[in-house]
Amino acid sequence: MTDPTAAAPDTGSPAATTIDTSAARLSVEDLTIEYSSGGYTVRPIEHFNLEARAGELVLLLGASGCGKTTLLSVLAGILSPTAGSVLVGSTQVVGLSGSALTEYRRHQVGIVFQAFNLLPSLSAAENVQIPLRGAGVSARAAKERALTLLNDVGLSDRVEHRPGDLSGGQQQRVAIARALAHNPPVVLADEPTAHLDYLQVDGVIRLLRTLADSGRLIVIATHDDRLVPLADHLVNLTPRRDTESRAPETTQLHEGEYLFHQGEPGELVYVVETGAIDLLRTREDGSEDLLTTVRPTGYFGELAPMFGLQRSAAARAATPSTVIGYTVRDFRAQHSGSVGQLLSGGVDTVEGNA
Amino acid sequence: MWLISLRDLQWRRRRFIIAVFATGLVFGITLLLSGINASFQNEINHTVGSFDASGWIVPTAAAGPFTSSAAFPAALARQVARTPGVHEADPMVVTRVTLAGATPTDLIVFGTVIHGIGPQATSGRDARRPGEMVVDSSLGKAVGQVIAVGGRQFHIVGTYSGNTVFAGQPTAVVPIQDARAISFDGEPLATSVVVRGLPSHPPAGFQVLTPNQAAGDLRRPIKSAQGTIGFLNVLLWVIAAGIIGSIVYLTVIERTRDFAVLKATGFASGMLFLSLAVEAIVIALAAAIVAIVFAFALHGALPLQVAIGTGTYVALVGIAVAVGIIASLVGLRRAVGVDPALAFG
Repeated sequence: MTDPTAAAPDTGSPAATTIDTSAARLSVEDLTIEYSSGGYTVRPIEHFNLEARAGELVLLLGASGCGKTTLLSVLAGILSPTAGSVLVGSTQVVGLSGSALTEYRRHQVGIVFQAFNLLPSLSAAENVQIPLRGAGVSARAAKERALTLLNDVGLSDRVEHRPGDLSGGQQQRVAIARALAHNPPVVLADEPTAHLDYLQVDGVIRLLRTLADSGRLIVIATHDDRLVPLADHLVNLTPRRDTESRAPETTQLHEGEYLFHQGEPGELVYVVETGAIDLLRTREDGSEDLLTTVRPTGYFGELAPMFGLQRSAAARAATPSTVIGYTVRDFRAQHSGSVGQLLSGGVDTVEGNA
Repeated sequence: MWLISLRDLQWRRRRFIIAVFATGLVFGITLLLSGINASFQNEINHTVGSFDASGWIVPTAAAGPFTSSAAFPAALARQVARTPGVHEADPMVVTRVTLAGATPTDLIVFGTVIHGIGPQATSGRDARRPGEMVVDSSLGKAVGQVIAVGGRQFHIVGTYSGNTVFAGQPTAVVPIQDARAISFDGEPLATSVVVRGLPSHPPAGFQVLTPNQAAGDLRRPIKSAQGTIGFLNVLLWVIAAGIIGSIVYLTVIERTRDFAVLKATGFASGMLFLSLAVEAIVIALAAAIVAIVFAFALHGALPLQVAIGTGTYVALVGIAVAVGIIASLVGLRRAVGVDPALAFG
């Protein structure tokens, strides 16, 4: 079924709103985000830096689990990072709390959620009004603003419809209108095209681009590489997958020396030539669990380079050891097995990839 | 936040209606029980007040003028009448009889001096000679009827209403001679002396009871019933709180994502609290209205008298709001504690 409002909205309307471009700047420095998962520490974002300014559309591209939504949460002031700073306009987001944080969320950032997250009991106009009413704006002014915004996103004939009566594309437009309710200089969008068909995607993409052109800073987290041409600034959060052949890398390790650490990007699959390699996962309290020990002819670390994931465990020499690192392509050529056989053969698949 | 609350109630209207009617039914029963409890107190006050007496003189060992069967010579009344402070003193006999019939009925009989201190008829006339009786209208007898009490025939010459005791038992007034004939084979005895004007000191071996103390004498036999009703009332309030609390908690669980989104878009926790509290209060108030209608419709159908005053209705509304808020606290706490990061989930 086609989305009757999927056509490009009036591109002039959102741009017509005056934006404080000095507030539409983003500076992220040395950002590290850690959280606990199943008793282990996960660090999806480590030493991350980003600079963006008004009028730009920044694309945080990456596979599921790479930390892009987590990063967006930090930018929105919803999650506190472990280290680093986030400057939006002149506001240092890290450390905000109480009313200052509420004000930041109200006036400096607008958020478009992946699943639209509209309140099902409210009409489209009421969903857009809610952030305004919550900020103390009068009912009449909030309604006028909501109608203007819904008109801007091409939904003037759907203002009284509830989310359940709207298509995915229309719901996403309402969500975008809601994010613009306070006329924020920065708009954060989490997977804005995830639940849309290609017809609906077209309208939403155009709308987001228009918002950037109007002087806002738009930050989109997505795994949808169709959006890449839209971006002024592309940040690839998925570790590089080396699909080309290259010479195997032989590494000598002393006892106790780390080959790689948990959370690092992974490029190579390692085969143990001599010695023994412990695969260790760091717990919340800093202690390490020994997942397994890989001995000569065994291999480990295949999942990270195959799927663009971060290392989920560290590799440390239990004894003086020699390992050889292969690209996934070369490793598969040598083992001539299916992906399934490859995965089941790796010792690290006991508890996920290393 | 009225908008969010109102729309959510509309959105979940079936659940809202069920909650309102279930809570309203519980509130209604509490109203009726409160009314029954109040009627117990009212009948006591009304019956004691109908004597228009300053007090009763009873033997020291007697619990009160209405429940004691300890008799003493009626001549004591003349002695009491001469005591300083007393304007009028009459002997009185209180006895309990059972009227035969398809459904035997207990009747509390007050034997009073003709033209003396005692309840007066509000319809017909007072008893002026032996063999005449004034009865409470709850007995279902009319002026002109004849009833047999204790083997004697009585002509009903008058009635009064509201003079019941022990949770609805009717009373009757007969000349004291008749009461003595029923209880003491006509011996000139009395079970109490009813006075206007309190004596400076009671006769030796006797005590003076004020109307309040006399009311306590009537209240004592039904004290445990009143306590049980009070306890049931508390249980019903808890049940009502449970219903409202469950509904609000369920709503919070279902709306966790909504609350996360609202927080992420700049809603203060206090607003979320207010939004949910408003829903709980609306449910409680609507239930209170249902309860009032329910109690109003049913109170006449109950065999016991139900006295629900305006104050009780007002109190119900106030208590209902308090119950609504208290019951919602767990849900409210959960809503306020929702992590806005869930909006990204």
